[in-house]
Amino acid sequence: MKPPPKSSALKNLRPKLGGSCTSCDDDSPEVPPPLPASPPSLTLPPPLVNFIRSRLKPPKSQKCIFYSTDWEKSALLTNFQKRGWLQVPSFGGEWNFYWACTQNCRYIFGIDHPYRMRSDQMINHFPNSVELSRKDLLIKNIKRYRKDLERRGDPLAQTLSPDTKLGIGGTRYKHLDIIPLTFVLPADYQLFVEAFHQNPVSTWIVKPCSKSQGVGIYLVNKLSKLKKYAYDARTFYPAMNRDTCVISKYIENPLLIGGKKFDLRLFVLVTTFNPLKAYLYNEGFCRFCTEKYDQAEIDNVFMHLTNVSIQKTNEEYNSIHGGKWPLQNLWLYLDSLRGEGVSDILWRRISDTIRHSLDAVAPVMANDRHCFEVYGYDIIIDNSLKPWLIEINTSPSMHSTTTNDRSLKSRLIDNVLDVVVPPNSLPDEHWDKIPKPELLKNFTVLMPIPHQKHSSTGAGGATRSGGSRRKGRSSKKKKSPPAEGAEMNARKGKGGGGGGTSTSTGTGTGKEKLRR
Amino acid sequence: MEELQDASIHHMTAKVISAIKNTKCYEPLFKELQRLVCNPAVDTHDMRNTLEDAIKGAGLETEIRNIVYNLVRSRLTRPDEKTQASKQNTKPTVSDPLGYLKRAGVLWDRRVRKSLNAMCTELKVPLHGQPRISADREDFMAKWNELSNYNMDLANYRPVYAPKDLLEVLLSLKGPAKTTEPTDHIPLWEFSHIALPVKNLFELRAHYADLLRSDSYLGVPDLTIQCQRILEARHAPMCQQFLKKGCTPAPYRGALWASVLDSKLHDYDIEYWQKLRNSVWTTDHIVDKLVFKDIQLTASNDDQYFVFEDVLYQVLLCFSRDTDIGGCVEYEAFPVKGKTYEGPPSGVVPFHGICMFAAPFCYLYDSPVNLYYTFRAFYIRYCHRLTTINTHPQGIVSLCLLFEKLLQTYEPQLWSHFRELQIQPLRVVFKWLMRAFSGHLPPDQLLILWDLILGFDSLEILPLFAIIILSFRKESIMQVASLDSIEAILADLSSIKVLPLVQLALSRD
Repeated sequence: MKPPPKSSALKNLRPKLGGSCTSCDDDSPEVPPPLPASPPSLTLPPPLVNFIRSRLKPPKSQKCIFYSTDWEKSALLTNFQKRGWLQVPSFGGEWNFYWACTQNCRYIFGIDHPYRMRSDQMINHFPNSVELSRKDLLIKNIKRYRKDLERRGDPLAQTLSPDTKLGIGGTRYKHLDIIPLTFVLPADYQLFVEAFHQNPVSTWIVKPCSKSQGVGIYLVNKLSKLKKYAYDARTFYPAMNRDTCVISKYIENPLLIGGKKFDLRLFVLVTTFNPLKAYLYNEGFCRFCTEKYDQAEIDNVFMHLTNVSIQKTNEEYNSIHGGKWPLQNLWLYLDSLRGEGVSDILWRRISDTIRHSLDAVAPVMANDRHCFEVYGYDIIIDNSLKPWLIEINTSPSMHSTTTNDRSLKSRLIDNVLDVVVPPNSLPDEHWDKIPKPELLKNFTVLMPIPHQKHSSTGAGGATRSGGSRRKGRSSKKKKSPPAEGAEMNARKGKGGGGGGTSTSTGTGTGKEKLRR
Repeated sequence: MEELQDASIHHMTAKVISAIKNTKCYEPLFKELQRLVCNPAVDTHDMRNTLEDAIKGAGLETEIRNIVYNLVRSRLTRPDEKTQASKQNTKPTVSDPLGYLKRAGVLWDRRVRKSLNAMCTELKVPLHGQPRISADREDFMAKWNELSNYNMDLANYRPVYAPKDLLEVLLSLKGPAKTTEPTDHIPLWEFSHIALPVKNLFELRAHYADLLRSDSYLGVPDLTIQCQRILEARHAPMCQQFLKKGCTPAPYRGALWASVLDSKLHDYDIEYWQKLRNSVWTTDHIVDKLVFKDIQLTASNDDQYFVFEDVLYQVLLCFSRDTDIGGCVEYEAFPVKGKTYEGPPSGVVPFHGICMFAAPFCYLYDSPVNLYYTFRAFYIRYCHRLTTINTHPQGIVSLCLLFEKLLQTYEPQLWSHFRELQIQPLRVVFKWLMRAFSGHLPPDQLLILWDLILGFDSLEILPLFAIIILSFRKESIMQVASLDSIEAILADLSSIKVLPLVQLALSRD
């Protein structure tokens, strides 16, 4: 595989530190020019900033990266220290690399922040990543994305025949039925009631929009439990309501292993939203409930909610494994008991689901060049092996509950730093964000969609990628992720601007894979 | 010469026939045969040929071949050993160079049973078990599928023994003829005085030669299709041959193992399983507590296996009631004076970590019955040799000896490093050997290792693989100087890949 192309124009802009930049070995000029730093609404008038910026500039001779962090977690600290970086206080603004909490990040991008970020600074959140992490905004973005595709007549928006029974997703999209049917309360209360009456025996799950870790989540199967929202929807101007919730169709038939429900926690790295560059981490874990699943007992949170912060409070919680099962065990289990290649198909479905979610928010994201973000995706698999997007976390816990957890998260951060920081250099907003293929290690390129061998069957291609996925770290040297430059031009604009073709994998499952 | 051969074949045939008659599958087989004889295609004038054709046509031939194959492999050798053992009983024990080892085996077994008996006395529970009171029985039956919720007080129960106990006994084994040598200045912790024959690396390479061959069977390069065809043919030897590759496609592993271990389910197996289950439901046995305790101490805390906790309870509880196991497992026979103690119905006293022998099978089978019979067959064929002291070439003593000899010959630097530190190298790897790496390697790799055990029908891969790991991490080990730090280096095997490492070790120079 060819090394990724580098823009010759950008080569000159990059500050060279302590030796030559080894990554410049190809000068195909296919990379689009750097984009405006941030959307107009978030920029400050330049004159105000100049003075402070020049004062804050670190000496030219700076050899190592200064970092700051709001999380004193060992997974982060050990990796920073391993690279010989120096910790500086975050408020001084000296840092080149800041692992911030979302509030501090928002403050830095805020209108009343005294200075703009320097070109050699980098931060771990996008300014408005709430578009993904807030449950109401995410569903709004996905709904809009589907409508856009449908209006454009994109093949991705294909629907099944109108007499197909509606499932958990509540839509008939062939490819875009990725998230359980969801309404925002109290604003969409009437819509919800309509949907509820269509299937009165269904169970729904209510979640507060902006809370995490399972706080305030409960299941309902009677309208009477939602009286409060009925009242709010009539009385107040719904959009003004502070404690909005989302109510989603509950996945009543999750895939059970050992009789217990679980969800997947996967890690996705996005380095830029325009053009969209995203990577899926090959390791992850299944988070198990501590009690056997029983659909009828809807008030028992230990059966239904997989959040570690909830399960922890159960006396059955085991702190040695923390209910976390390595992802590769799930693949082994599924391949052994559900048949050849099942894990590959599932992995591709999951990748597609994540792609759609990112495509859905990309148009509204403020694509600041200083930013990257690691998302914690929560996905539930139902017993027909269809993945459902549940939630996206912008600050996935870097806290380690178990030894395996610690080593996984430490590897993840190590891998993230390799991909987001330009090699042998300070962070640089002008960098084209094309990491060297060998640095991707456990990351698989999600976006831009890597080229696959077209002629052969889909299954063949997947088996290969699946193989390298499971071999994990040992095979990292041999692994050659696809070149990125070429696809970037092919993929103009977001939202799958036409040209999409879908091919059946020929596995006879009737589910089709997204491939463009 | 030919006459002699002829006679031996007749002798063998007679043995096989009598053995088949003693198996559970004889009756259904015989009925099927009777049915075939009545078949109109079978002609009374040409009985021999037509019946043979009918047998082949009905697929009975493969079945009989597999039965013969498995009998020859496992049970037919046993009567011989027994007669030998009884001969030895009459001989004076001093003349047997391995007498002390056999004696140690019997003593170890007795010691384990004795401590089980002592535990019974201490806790005032009968060794033979007692009927469950009806409330308990109902509770137990109701929770059969979620036994992790079955509550009982286990505070007073501890595992009867752990790998460490067996290791101490093994390290204290002393040969009879060692007294004359001046051994004061050399710590006497090597196994080399034990006069058991073990393979050297050269012989191991010959034994595992198939592992390095890349030729495909049936002329099909695709493993999946090979596998499907082999399973269709149902020939146990072919299945075994396929496992030698070490790259079994996951969906077929369960069927291949069942075929090699002759553990495919028959109706009588399912009935027997139900019988065992009923026995668990109706009687309360001290072994149950030990099984619960063991699973809680090991599998429930293991992030690779905790999701299968409930299945493991079922499997190991039934295992403890299975009287067939005692009949299949060979124990050392040696006259030792003193009291004999009774064991649990299965004859197997649970030790710390016994459930790890069963746990990997959870990745192969969904139903506890399937899991049970394959696990049981694997235990009878291999695992029990790892927890008893015996003279079998694949017993734990031989494996330890093989490990030491390999280390001494092929990693002399490590050997002397251990020696300088006064650490017995065996201490570092014993838990791997005794558990056959279960719980130490991640399941996907462990199953590959066990593929090789089954494929080459030998546990010798265990010490070999232990050496490979030590050799792989040699540089780190050479830099530290305490048992704790060495163990820390070897604690995490999650990045170890079985097949490439074994192939590398076997193909070197």
